[in-house]
Amino acid sequence: MSAIQATDLVRRFGEVEAVRGVSLEVAEGEIYGFLGPNGAGKSTIVRILTTLLQPTSGSGAVLGHDVTREPTTVRRLIGVALQEAGLDPKQTGRELLSLQGKLYGLKGKVLGDQVAEVTELVGLTDAIDRRIQTYSGGMKRRLDLASALLHRPRVLFLDEPTTGLDPLSRALIWDRIRELRERFGATIFLTTQYLEEADELADRVAIIDHGLIVRQGTPAALKAEIGADVIDLAVEERESGAARAAITELQASGQLPGGELRGTRDGYTLFVPDGPQNIAVLIRGLDRAGVRFGAVSLSRPTLDDVFLAATGGRMAAAHEDTQAEDGQREPEPEPAGTGRRAS
Amino acid sequence: MSAAAPGIGSTDGRRPTGEPQTLAAPAGLLSDVVAITGRAIRGILREPELFIFALIIPVFFFVVQIGALGKVAEQQLGISDYAAFQLPISILFAAASTSGGNALVLDIAGGYWDKLSLTPAHRSSLVVGNLFGEMFAVLGYSLVLLVFGFLIGVRFDSPVIGPVGLLALTLLFGIGFAAVSIAVALATGSVRATQSTFIIFFPLLFLTPSALPRDLMTGWFEKAVSINPMTYVIEAARSFLFGFDGAVVGKGFLAAALFSALTFGLTALAFRRRVRMG
Repeated sequence: MSAIQATDLVRRFGEVEAVRGVSLEVAEGEIYGFLGPNGAGKSTIVRILTTLLQPTSGSGAVLGHDVTREPTTVRRLIGVALQEAGLDPKQTGRELLSLQGKLYGLKGKVLGDQVAEVTELVGLTDAIDRRIQTYSGGMKRRLDLASALLHRPRVLFLDEPTTGLDPLSRALIWDRIRELRERFGATIFLTTQYLEEADELADRVAIIDHGLIVRQGTPAALKAEIGADVIDLAVEERESGAARAAITELQASGQLPGGELRGTRDGYTLFVPDGPQNIAVLIRGLDRAGVRFGAVSLSRPTLDDVFLAATGGRMAAAHEDTQAEDGQREPEPEPAGTGRRAS
Repeated sequence: MSAAAPGIGSTDGRRPTGEPQTLAAPAGLLSDVVAITGRAIRGILREPELFIFALIIPVFFFVVQIGALGKVAEQQLGISDYAAFQLPISILFAAASTSGGNALVLDIAGGYWDKLSLTPAHRSSLVVGNLFGEMFAVLGYSLVLLVFGFLIGVRFDSPVIGPVGLLALTLLFGIGFAAVSIAVALATGSVRATQSTFIIFFPLLFLTPSALPRDLMTGWFEKAVSINPMTYVIEAARSFLFGFDGAVVGKGFLAAALFSALTFGLTALAFRRRVRMG
């Protein structure tokens, strides 16, 4: 049985189709990374799968229980930390966790033990009796995570758990996510805008854009789909045209294999097989053409490259607008190559 | 991955067979309501300044009305104790100041409503618990004003039935009024709109015999006052102070109950909409 299953999910908000037929399946114990720019439909899908929102059509299930027909059963099985950690600032951390526990039917010693356990797990023991209004953003996220774990859920939905956090807090959340999987075998549905986060944590990744899943697979398989090494070439703006012409000429003459040439903020990215050999060909060719260029680097494809290929480069815009509620508004197409100039 | 993985937080490494395998269990509606009410009362107690501000305007009107009209009312209109005549108005004014939807709309805007909605608790308990929290606030306001009235010499016709009856009537009206702002909070999710519900209290309160007895009124004003349910609530409240009249008290409770039934109906509609829309 799958931990999470979605079949042809569609959700419309008036005229806007935020989710346009999404199907996915997550195995028990898997960390499933769900990537996409703002407005792509990530949070809408999370809200449907966690029973907060009904789909316009299609179905979703958690551990075999339909999210629309058996919402209460699903709520007992899942833990959810939403993108905006909605916490009551007037309560202390302990009061919030106790209330949350009571609503899950925990009481007495079990409730006390669980509060102590999850508080320790997220490293908030010293602050748990302080009012939440005194917590930092990172502490609030950790408290939110703790509240999602109180009733020992089998499936955990984490909606952008590290967005807006400093690197230290982010690393701490990453450690906890790894620990949850390694110690307890939890199934984790992780939405994120940070590609390195998905690369670091997820067993499988899906990329959603404009309400549709456009790529799905293990990070390694997705990178392999790119089928090439990546050469990043820095050129000044005034040399940009000459560089493009020289590279196109090298490709046309067969000196460089034909591969995707993509404009970036600093110059160009060239996708070529056999990078170590072809980087030398590229440098010599540019030299011969009299093109002035800066740093040249060779790397393996990253999830960034997969994402950019899948979405046409909308990720940079997503990073700049981390607070927007996606899925609740019309997806706004960004010009291709916001992060890297389109070739 | 292990298909037999235990729930998160479990340290025993085993999962019992069968479904479900988490610690979550049905708590029951009563337990849910008690938990949410406790949180609502805690929130009220943690902001005593709001409690004090909500009392300032009713006390101000009370004092000004007595100062401006007290002697005239007693000498020209035959009202034996104008402070007692005005005390129910102040108490009902304070009860309407609770704006029970404020806490709820802040939960909705801040995302805490979603967090609570993700639990298996009865969703109606999220609203009912808030209403009970508001009843606690109404009780608090009423007791403060009753003590204030006592200190300036207001006495009830019956020292036990009088205050208890007035408190019961005020709670019934207050919870109905709190339901209005809760309905607006659920329907709109807007902090501003929810805070504005206080405005509807003004026609309800001032198209009443708040300053004069009804038999001294004439024309359109008298007609408007006669169809306002608040008129009967106020007259019943005064009956506890000036001489118990069962018929008047009965009409007052009926008017408060009908008002509350109407506002609860609106709240139920708004609640269903909120749950359906997510």
